[in-house]
Amino acid sequence: MPFIKIDEKEFEVAKGITVLQAALANGIEIPHYCFHPVLEVVGSCRMCLVQVEGMPKLQASCNTSIGEVALDKKLDGKYDMVVNTQTDAVKQERKNILEFLLLNHPLDCPVCDQAGECYLQDYTFKYGNAHSRFKEEKRVRPSESLGSNIVINQDRCILCSRCVRFTREISGTNELFVQNRGYHSKVSILKDKPLENLMAGNVADICPVGALLNTDYIHKNRFWNLDTIPSVCQDCSAGCNVDVFSQRDEIFRLTPRENHDVNGYFMCDIGRYGFHRFEEIERVNQPLVRNGKSFDVIDWAEAIQKTADLIEQSNGKTAGIVSPFHTNESNFLLGLMINGMLGMLPAIQAEEITYPSGFRISADRSPNQRGMNNICGGLAEDLSSEIKTQAIRGLYILDDGVDRELDDAWKEILAKMDFLIVQSYAMTDLAKLAHIVLPGLAPYEREGTITNDQDRIQWLRPSLSIKAESKPDWEILMLVNNALNKKAENFTGLDDVIIKMGEQFPNYSGITLFKIATQGIALNGKKM
Amino acid sequence: MKSKAQPKSGFSFADSERVERILSQYPDKKSATLPLLHLAQSQEGYISSSVIDTIADLADCHPSVVMDCVSFYTMLYTKPQGRHTIQVCQTLSCSLNGADSMVDHVRDKYEIEPGGTTADDRFTLMKVECLGSCGTAPVVQVNNDYHEGLSLEEFDQLLESLE
Repeated sequence: MPFIKIDEKEFEVAKGITVLQAALANGIEIPHYCFHPVLEVVGSCRMCLVQVEGMPKLQASCNTSIGEVALDKKLDGKYDMVVNTQTDAVKQERKNILEFLLLNHPLDCPVCDQAGECYLQDYTFKYGNAHSRFKEEKRVRPSESLGSNIVINQDRCILCSRCVRFTREISGTNELFVQNRGYHSKVSILKDKPLENLMAGNVADICPVGALLNTDYIHKNRFWNLDTIPSVCQDCSAGCNVDVFSQRDEIFRLTPRENHDVNGYFMCDIGRYGFHRFEEIERVNQPLVRNGKSFDVIDWAEAIQKTADLIEQSNGKTAGIVSPFHTNESNFLLGLMINGMLGMLPAIQAEEITYPSGFRISADRSPNQRGMNNICGGLAEDLSSEIKTQAIRGLYILDDGVDRELDDAWKEILAKMDFLIVQSYAMTDLAKLAHIVLPGLAPYEREGTITNDQDRIQWLRPSLSIKAESKPDWEILMLVNNALNKKAENFTGLDDVIIKMGEQFPNYSGITLFKIATQGIALNGKKM
Repeated sequence: MKSKAQPKSGFSFADSERVERILSQYPDKKSATLPLLHLAQSQEGYISSSVIDTIADLADCHPSVVMDCVSFYTMLYTKPQGRHTIQVCQTLSCSLNGADSMVDHVRDKYEIEPGGTTADDRFTLMKVECLGSCGTAPVVQVNNDYHEGLSLEEFDQLLESLE
């Protein structure tokens, strides 16, 4: 393995990696724009120039790879390469490059959406000159819409071509290209072929400057006002890792979070904009009990007692319907509570999409199908006919929420029930049929674990506060269970539930939220 | 291999043998993009969007990649050109020797701006950078031929001789 020195740090690196990769992996910052770990190296921005001993000119660290040299050629008798990132020449070159990149830049950070997370801003502040010598009139070009919520501000673009390479290498859709040359170059689309793919949102994320922007977020907030919570996307069972940006109980955007075992660096637009569908819904945030055609509001103690009474009176003829939209803990606790049959409503499926880079949007558009199946053991295969044959009289349903549309056959079955207890966050088709509605939490309010379709358990963390009187779903289930069975365990938190879950399902043993952390744990790496 | 003789788009190469010969020269089909563009331009006079689609099909890449290439080169035209392209060199020697007055002459006589085409499609006027013949300035390239050391009168006669 080559042994190298970058500044004063010495380390061994894998043969063939580049100077930039070696530096970044060892905590040395080399400023760069066009380099992105999963895109082809083009070395066009020149920002990452460093001084390599023995080479006459500064080298682009992103495409200078490290090899081994013969013993007698080693520098200082031991190094295969010696790199300096802090010499005067390097510092001066960075200033020069930044001056070039900023020639026609409008310097409009105060109104730019990228401000605060912009590499042009950061590097100029850190490495650049305070003044430009460019006294001529700046080139001004209009912003253009590229399609799929993406607009380009041509004046801010530094032509690093990350977005162009993204559409060629990652999404494979090729919509973007660099039009014209030299001074007239710009990122563009063909007239009749706009940016149109489900990964399009990522081009705004990988843009290192404020050129590519997402119209869904543009001019809505400032980066530094937002709280960032690392969580998991809930729109398919691939379980992409995301950062949820919110302020004062409102989500502003989702961006992909790096996880090489799940989604790499990207996410799809279904997940990216999915949070909007929870914004304008008729929420349920007080316990409700049916009174003829409408509902009465009751308090929690009464609601829990009524629920427990109904289940008790049914004499084991209550079935539970678990949900692939709920956390492992909620599904597990429903299983604990229902002393009988568990089932699920028909799965919500769509087309599976795989991109050339391997990025995948699962056909199963619920986040926790796998976890639900793992945790609930024997789910009734054909729930509707089982309900008939076992003469089920009541149902306790964890509602899938706004994504569930009930067909007539199911509406008929549900109408025949003696009682229907629905735990939901919204007045869904199901909740409308219920006798008791217990207000749980909506996506992005919930906390718990979910398991993706590759058997990776991940931590779903909440970004939004709990509304009015609604309670966490696992807590509601625990309270009902405690009312039913005085000996039932009292869990003080999610970790307690996970420990209990691990006792029954060895696959899930030894797991805590702390261990899952931001990257998740592969369950299939453990013994079954 | 599927036949590419009849592409979906409106354009097809007249000399399909030549196309095959060009394609066979390159292990990576994408490398054939430029020679195919030249061939198409010599046939059509300019690169239309259907030419781009056809070549993208032949070179096994996306039309945007072909457009990337077309827009890079100034001698590939994306708009229909006149029967004769008048390219007046603008670089130093020619400029000092009266290139500007030649542009003005065409502009006044035929009422076209640089980049424009006469209404009867006779001429397209272009200002271009160095044609590499500074010793014989001013130089005007008409279609594929250089006309060197032109006086304004000679230039006018030249224009008159073109139909």
